[in-house]
Amino acid sequence: MEYFLQQLINGLSLGALYALIAVGYTVVYGIVQLINFAHGEIFMIGAFGAYATWMILGQPTDWSTTMSLLVLLPAMLIGGMVASVTVALMTERFAYRPLRNAPRLAPLITAIGVSVFLQEFVRLFYGWVPGFPDAKSAIPFPSVPGLSGESLQFGEVLIQMPAVFTLAALAVCSVFLWYFVNRTKTGRAMVATSQDPDTARLMGINVDRVIMAAFALGAALAAIAGVAHGLRYGNIDFRMGFLAGLKAFTAAVLGGIGNIAGAVVGGLVLGVAEAMATSFIPGQFGSSAWKDVWAFALLILVLVFRPEGLLGAKVVDRA
Amino acid sequence: MSQTITDGHSVDTGTVLLGASAVTMRFGGLTAVNNVSLNVHSGEIVGLIGPNGAGKTTLFNCLTGLYRPTSGEVRFLGEVLPPKPRLVVRRGMARTFQNIRLFHNMTALENVMVGMYSRTQTNAIDAVFRLPRHRREELASTERAKELLDFVGLSKAADTLSRNLPYGDQRRLEIARALATEPKLLLLDEPTAGMNPQETRQAEELIFRIRDLGLAVLVIEHDMRFIFNLCDRVCCLVRGEVLIEGPGEVVQNDPRVIEAYIGSSETDDEPAVPAADEPEQKGEADA
Amino acid sequence: MNVIIPDDVKVRFRVPARIIGLVGCTLMIASIFMSWSYGHTVLDDVGYWGAPSPLQLYYAVLPVLGVLLLAVPLLGRGRLGRWAKLVAWNTSAKTCAIWSLAVTAVMIASIAIGLGGLVNVDPGGWVALAGALIAVASTLFLPDSPDPNLYRLKSPQWVQILAIVGVMAVLLFGAAYLLNFENADQFLTFGASVVGVVMVLRQFGIFSWLSIAAANNNRVLVTSAFVVAFAFPFTQNGSDANMSIASQVLIFAATALGLNIVVGLVGLLDLGYIAFLGAGAFTAAILSGSAFATIDWVPPFWLTVLIAGTVSSLLGLLIGAPTLRVSGDYLAIVTLAFGEIFRITMNNLDGNDGPNLTNGSNGISAIPDLNFFGFDFGKAHVIFGIDIGRFANYYWLMLVVIAIIIVVFMNLNYSRIGRGWVAIREDELAAEAMGVNTFALKLLAFAGGAFLAGVAGAVKAHYDVSVTPDQYVFLESAFLLAAVVLGGMGTVMGVLIGATILKLLPEKLRFFSDYRLLLFGLLMVIMMRFRPEGIIADERRQLEFHDEDDALAVEIQEEMRAKHVHLNPEPKEWDL
Repeated sequence: MEYFLQQLINGLSLGALYALIAVGYTVVYGIVQLINFAHGEIFMIGAFGAYATWMILGQPTDWSTTMSLLVLLPAMLIGGMVASVTVALMTERFAYRPLRNAPRLAPLITAIGVSVFLQEFVRLFYGWVPGFPDAKSAIPFPSVPGLSGESLQFGEVLIQMPAVFTLAALAVCSVFLWYFVNRTKTGRAMVATSQDPDTARLMGINVDRVIMAAFALGAALAAIAGVAHGLRYGNIDFRMGFLAGLKAFTAAVLGGIGNIAGAVVGGLVLGVAEAMATSFIPGQFGSSAWKDVWAFALLILVLVFRPEGLLGAKVVDRA
Repeated sequence: MSQTITDGHSVDTGTVLLGASAVTMRFGGLTAVNNVSLNVHSGEIVGLIGPNGAGKTTLFNCLTGLYRPTSGEVRFLGEVLPPKPRLVVRRGMARTFQNIRLFHNMTALENVMVGMYSRTQTNAIDAVFRLPRHRREELASTERAKELLDFVGLSKAADTLSRNLPYGDQRRLEIARALATEPKLLLLDEPTAGMNPQETRQAEELIFRIRDLGLAVLVIEHDMRFIFNLCDRVCCLVRGEVLIEGPGEVVQNDPRVIEAYIGSSETDDEPAVPAADEPEQKGEADA
Repeated sequence: MNVIIPDDVKVRFRVPARIIGLVGCTLMIASIFMSWSYGHTVLDDVGYWGAPSPLQLYYAVLPVLGVLLLAVPLLGRGRLGRWAKLVAWNTSAKTCAIWSLAVTAVMIASIAIGLGGLVNVDPGGWVALAGALIAVASTLFLPDSPDPNLYRLKSPQWVQILAIVGVMAVLLFGAAYLLNFENADQFLTFGASVVGVVMVLRQFGIFSWLSIAAANNNRVLVTSAFVVAFAFPFTQNGSDANMSIASQVLIFAATALGLNIVVGLVGLLDLGYIAFLGAGAFTAAILSGSAFATIDWVPPFWLTVLIAGTVSSLLGLLIGAPTLRVSGDYLAIVTLAFGEIFRITMNNLDGNDGPNLTNGSNGISAIPDLNFFGFDFGKAHVIFGIDIGRFANYYWLMLVVIAIIIVVFMNLNYSRIGRGWVAIREDELAAEAMGVNTFALKLLAFAGGAFLAGVAGAVKAHYDVSVTPDQYVFLESAFLLAAVVLGGMGTVMGVLIGATILKLLPEKLRFFSDYRLLLFGLLMVIMMRFRPEGIIADERRQLEFHDEDDALAVEIQEEMRAKHVHLNPEPKEWDL
């Protein structure tokens, strides 16, 4: 039982990471019906932005826990968000927007190009900034006092602090998302646009702005996930967005693409499923080397049996 | 609500081709088509009229397998139709679209040849190895496609890209493409929308010629003169329900039909403006 | 540029503009008899007076073309007749001047970089630069020509055939020559002048005429293309380095062509295509009889190829069947995931995390060379007195594979199935409503493409000698996609060109190899933005990407009419 609970917690914290990224896929897809392959790279850039902030702050390692949690962590989060949101808005403006009326294949291929470009850009040029480490191999992510090393213990169940941070971040973000979608003008405009872009435009909604808001929202959450990833695994590298992005997309499909709550639920479900697969599949195939395979197998199963996802996808009526 | 007409007018007594019984289509809370029953006999031209938003196109989509009706069933020659457009076509029912959906970057001939897809058998192996069947079928379908283009009066346009055709020709090409599927029943969704009076007359004449081929036709139209000239029977749909169904003059003079039209924002013989699409504007410019 | 100079000014000044342009071109031609560099170690030694080096001679081709393009309309005013309208004299002169400037710039930059500073540029270089600048400036004053419509020109068949054979011969010797440049600066200079000449001819309208000639003489085109490709190893005189590059290009091109069926013809984005290549390669490796093979059965190679293709296509079915029912967008991401699953699985089937099939990340090495009826692919053979080495043997084998893929591609494209694919691309719902079995057709393309990749993979395994999971990763799939996008979706010629460019450039321009992925990512974005139909455009694809351009639609329709491509279902009507 403890083992099960432990795996559940592990899965939930992993899933929270996926969920934070998945929201970005889902909001963008909901509005422009584009699978933004480059979103994984936006997540990666968020992590590198946070790292850069830490460098700019003078690589503090001896700050007190209070200072770290109240100053360092928020600074890193904001730094990461600035980087990821800037890049996301630039890709939207220069790569995707000109293709809004092009055949479906064009923006998809562009997204692949953007994804490769961003990865390579970070790999090649991150180290050019004076004092910054070369990004061609993994960079150790700084530990934030109060969020690393320690862990909470409930009976036999152990929760690492980075996991606590991820879960807390998801909880805060979920509340924020709920408020944003239901209570703010931009949020409601976003929902309206995703349901019917033409009517939304006629109603005076600035669709360009809504699309930018969707990209920015996704990027901001991805940056939080980037920091969480860095804290959790202790290092970041230019490739980290690829697999995380794929998993997050799986989560978005699992929850029902276009559905924000679905992305959160889908992420958690996927994380738990992955953790359970490595613990409860017997024999060689239960080893952690296979966990990604099971995650993707889940994606394919969902597409076969419930393509609209757990909470229902936005159905595009094409007739 | 379902009505059958047996008042012995000029109604063809042929077999029932299409039998829709109690078809209902709901989208969430909206009932677009409610409990509609409609029969089409072989060799018959049936009109489907009704103000905008009455559910005519939705009914078409239910009949042709684009939508799966919420309840009710659609039979064709006595058999329940599978809810897949492709299989419906194989059974012998083809349609055109209100907002012309030709393959714009294919030539007229190619468009018609795509229509023949379900009646030809060439498979990948035949095609890759250019086996005799491929050759035979390609020649035969090219020939047949040319005949069909000729039939609708587009023989000169065989190698014109369909997007470059004038609007009226595009409508006729869509009919040729539907005919290429060798249907027993042809469903036309506003075949004269956007046409000038002369083109409308040509369309009318074309539909009669199609009937003379032995096909039945079910046609949605807003142009009342056109409908009552053409149809053996007319069914009027209002708010998703059948208001009245019967011979043209009966429906024409029914006060409820007049009321339904005047009560709606549309006037009766103005062609309704279809969803804004380019061919519409192009067609008007050409006309 | 048209904004800068008003049209009426252009018309008024066209005669002086041509004369000044001629002066510019003459300066460039004269410059090749001068020394360009102070030292003798850059380019192919351009530091002599009075004796042009080979590169300088090639450099002169563009200005000579420029002289023709400017002098003929100047001298022949009023006497050109329909030739005044058939070709685009002015626009091609402008293109010619711009490319001359570009090549001049490349050469001067090479000298400056190679010898350390602009001081090392001798008068020849400066004269050429001045000439190029004069030419560019003056041609800006020429009125724009109407679009060339050389395709309307009727010509006797023997002229057409001669032209095709000539083009092929030029292609053969051009490629052989280009490959022999060891230095990046020479390669760039020569390459830039070749591209420049091609661009000028294209503006001139030659290619629209050639494409009609090609469509009318398809057998000749296909035969001569293969003769040329077949003859290529004989021009290399046993050079293994070049043949290795050439055979790699062929493998890459074969795979890209297979991908092009899926992406170009049906419009499905397959991002895991490399995994199907990998599946074929692993299958062939396991059945190769290598000491590291895990299955002790060595079927004849033709059977191995079939098995490899079948394994790949079964995987394709496994992925495609659930996904293709949903929507095209999902396919992209599922194939991406599949590529990752493939890599992980191949890594895991090492006897530790799973049954041992692939030796995990070590892969299967020491795959023996192929041996057909005693013809050992690993050994060099002397044919017509020329050494034909191991790479050349595989080159020829890949040529056969490419031929098969092209036949499949073309024959499917020009058939009932190809029409169905176009219909799906244009309007999937209407296609379904017209009786097209869209799901089956998509699945056919997807699994068929996977089969071809498996076949190519089987040959690649033997060529590479060893097969490891990390050869088959996502970036390779993206690289393939870049080749298709650059070359032209839905065309054979385009993808051959795209694959050659993408594979050749990093080989020849070493300094750029670390940046290649960065640039290819950027390339995909830029292509999609500015020329989504690629270098060689498939007519229909071009129309799809430029949906609002009605003039283009009419123009393309006329070209298609001239080719009679669409009215004749016969195989000779292939349009490469």
